[in-house]
Amino acid sequence: MSEMISPPLPSRPRTLVTGAVLGSIASVMFFAGLLAIYFSMRADAIAWGSEWFPEGAIQLVPGGMNMATMSLSVITMAWAVRSVSLNDRIHTYLALGLTALLGVAMINQTVFYLNDIGLPVDYSKASTLLFTIVGAHMIMVAIGVIWSLLLLVRAFGGQDTRRHQDLVSALSIYWYAGVVIYSIIWIGIYIAK
Amino acid sequence: MTTTDIAPDSVAVDGQQKHTFIERLVTSTSSLSIGKSWINTGLFYLISSSLLGFFLDIVRFDTDRYLIFSNVDTFFQFWSLNRTALVLLALIPIIIGLAMCVVPLQIGANSIIFPRAAAFGFWLWFLGAGITVFGFLADGGFGAPDSGSQQEAVALTLVGLLLVITGICMSVICLLTTIISGRCMGMSLRRIPLFSWTMIVSGTLWILTLPVLAANAVLTYVDLRGRSAIYFGSEDLIWEQISWVFTHPQIYVFVLPLIGIAYDIVPVATKIRQRNHDLVLILSGLFGVIGFGAYAQPFFDTPGTPVREEALYVVTAVLAVPFSLLLLAGVLETLRMGARNLTRHPPAPLVLSLLSLLLLVSGTIVGALRAIEPFELIDTTATTAQMKLTIGAGIVAAVAAMLWWGERIIGKKSKQGFGLIAGALIATGALLSGLTETINGFLGLDDFTKVNFLEKVSSESTAKVFIFFSFIGSFLFFVGSAIFLIVEFLRVRNGSESEVNPWGGHTLEWTEEVVTVSSERPLLDIEEKVGVDDV
Repeated sequence: MSEMISPPLPSRPRTLVTGAVLGSIASVMFFAGLLAIYFSMRADAIAWGSEWFPEGAIQLVPGGMNMATMSLSVITMAWAVRSVSLNDRIHTYLALGLTALLGVAMINQTVFYLNDIGLPVDYSKASTLLFTIVGAHMIMVAIGVIWSLLLLVRAFGGQDTRRHQDLVSALSIYWYAGVVIYSIIWIGIYIAK
Repeated sequence: MTTTDIAPDSVAVDGQQKHTFIERLVTSTSSLSIGKSWINTGLFYLISSSLLGFFLDIVRFDTDRYLIFSNVDTFFQFWSLNRTALVLLALIPIIIGLAMCVVPLQIGANSIIFPRAAAFGFWLWFLGAGITVFGFLADGGFGAPDSGSQQEAVALTLVGLLLVITGICMSVICLLTTIISGRCMGMSLRRIPLFSWTMIVSGTLWILTLPVLAANAVLTYVDLRGRSAIYFGSEDLIWEQISWVFTHPQIYVFVLPLIGIAYDIVPVATKIRQRNHDLVLILSGLFGVIGFGAYAQPFFDTPGTPVREEALYVVTAVLAVPFSLLLLAGVLETLRMGARNLTRHPPAPLVLSLLSLLLLVSGTIVGALRAIEPFELIDTTATTAQMKLTIGAGIVAAVAAMLWWGERIIGKKSKQGFGLIAGALIATGALLSGLTETINGFLGLDDFTKVNFLEKVSSESTAKVFIFFSFIGSFLFFVGSAIFLIVEFLRVRNGSESEVNPWGGHTLEWTEEVVTVSSERPLLDIEEKVGVDDV
């Protein structure tokens, strides 16, 4: 019996994933612009011997907790991608739900910290930059949370199957970009102060 | 007894209901329709901004009369509006529109990928453009040197700018995804037509740099909104923070597609195969790379050395000259080889694409002179000169592209002779303005960054002579833009039906019928229908 040989599959990158990569690059560049200004002004301030943040204003614990939360969300997001590719609906529900929950937790911690920090936005150039960068990242995470909740609703409707896994893959790329950006914020702002 | 309902005919009739023009315009997701919307709106802003540029030059020439500008702050607001509108509301939209219409055809894609996102991108930009202009008209804009603008209106302008950038980025992402993932099988990136290639390069650089501009705008907004600004939102500093977008090296990124336009037009017009295709790919890519300008902001000045005097800034400015010359030489070589195939009256797009490359070369030369520190041209009108020459190059190339691909996009013939006149006037205007502003730069005339700008202009009698010629150049630029708008309007209204391939083009956009590539064993289609994945 002759064996059926299928033609090679098209090798073009998947459209949603390509779009998500490009969108994430744009997001990364937005934060790169802000962070570059932050680091440049901070270096100038230190070089001139002026105070950047008041002593004790920036605490490591809230930033560290946020970093830990975002790191955990990387695992849950990878779990979601894997579950969708395996057509495992229950695990998809769990993974997407947990990712969204971790995102909400991160936003909650950030809002608490920004209220607790005791620095008004217009205290100095540093505080303006801090609020802008952390606030913008919070919005990025919020968009990711809304996106993951939408996918969760689709999953409940049975639409996030292996045939539609690109939607989850696209979200994961965006989410990972958000985590990478936060890790730079964590190192550059919370640790280096 | 079983009864069976049959769907009434009216359902089918309802489905074919004719939509009004507005309904079709707003809801269309066709790449052609979205592209035309970009082009039409871009042309509107081109006319408006060139008219504004003309008025601004009148004031510079006759400083005793502010005309519609009541004081120096208002003059500054309109001056900055002119630059913003020329780049973000006219040139980029026209290029995106052309790309929306032409790129899917060139690469054999059925349509743009993510058509709804592309439509959303246009409407977001449209809304943002309106808000930006309104912000300027409401005494806002990007601050004022005499601190006389309305803070709320400045914030509104920044919101408009953010929407403009988001809309552009969204549309560019759709275009790039179409080229990367939607081109027909067998067409490698090396083989895509050069306009599509330059769109990849410039589109990538747009999404790398415009978000940085958005970051500037957000930072300014946060500092400005609801309180007195600490630093970023200070009225006299806002323009300084965002002006990097309108000068070397960033300005080259916005006009990069003109190289693709010229390299798509000239070989077809001369019926000669383009030589050194790979070299052109590399050179245009490198030209894009040196155009990355997000670093050229005052924030990144090192103590004692402004960023615009750093080695990177100077080297890229100087490198732009040989790159643009090599790109021009490539086109000229093709033209030389195919000269025998040209008639006495070469096609208008061919002439205009050559003019655009010449303007680009002039722009890079002025840019290089400006970056050389001993000439002390950085803060002078040489900045304006470089912008006018480069943007002029982009606009002339856009005219050439519309005359070339317009027959395919709109399906009607245009008056090529009038199109040529329009493009030539724009080129002459840009060249005249650019050269005279360069001379004024050497005479030490400041670019508008200071309160006493107009007083200084009036005291410089030699400079005033050249400002007069610059004013003539702005007038020609405006007249050329207006003629081009009329040419396109007449094409749409009265143009006769054009042939499918009027130029004898060999790339996919000129094919008469949609090429359907099918497999003998369409397994993919079967999988889709059966739902193999679900089995």
